[in-house]
Amino acid sequence: MKSKIIIGPWSYLTGAILLAVLNTLLFAALHTPWQITTGITYWAAWIFKFLGGAPENWHYFANNASKSEGLSQSFLSNSLSLMNFGVIFGALLAVLIASQFKVKKIKSPKQIFAALLGGIIMGYGTRIALGCNIGAFFSAIPSLSVSGWVWGISAFIGAWVGSKLLIKYLL
Amino acid sequence: MAEVRLDCLYEACPIPLLKTMQSLKVLNQGDVLIVETDHSCAIKNIAEWVGKQKLPCEIIEVSNGEWEIYIRKER
Repeated sequence: MKSKIIIGPWSYLTGAILLAVLNTLLFAALHTPWQITTGITYWAAWIFKFLGGAPENWHYFANNASKSEGLSQSFLSNSLSLMNFGVIFGALLAVLIASQFKVKKIKSPKQIFAALLGGIIMGYGTRIALGCNIGAFFSAIPSLSVSGWVWGISAFIGAWVGSKLLIKYLL
Repeated sequence: MAEVRLDCLYEACPIPLLKTMQSLKVLNQGDVLIVETDHSCAIKNIAEWVGKQKLPCEIIEVSNGEWEIYIRKER
């Protein structure tokens, strides 16, 4: 029983209930539901700013006052940034407790290429879609936003096309 | 009654599952497929899919965060 809880895997239902409860608590505490990629965008913008760049001129920030507010914050003062650290720290803790931590090697150059290309497409996609599967889908639907459903249907089509490409080029 | 090893180490979902489907298809009846993986989601989705095919499967954790999935192609 103990090992089943610690090592898992948990059922989809258990995961769904926990995510719903935690996201509700987060919304009550911070008045914003869980989101990931906006925080990652800030990470990129802060690093770019640190290196001497001017992210406030990016179209994304220049045309959105509520988003550009975060530019003056930092890794440890911005709540979205802290949420992402929380996810990484929590995942690390879980895998260490289950003693399943492992440093993974890169198998082939194809894997590097696919990871970089996938990352760039996902990053760009989340900015024009105003969120990823967490912020623009998982958090949008319970907020009774139609955009969440539009996002979900679009993602379903995208995943179908993506899996065809994956079978063709990566398998 | 051959034993075939399938190296899926360092591969993320859904590659291990897709490779398992592909390899199992070309095996003969009675053969055993051993899938090596270090992706914890793979032991869940491969076992689930194998169960749906009504084939027996056994998962052994060979070292920390590394598993071997034994699948016998009974039919």
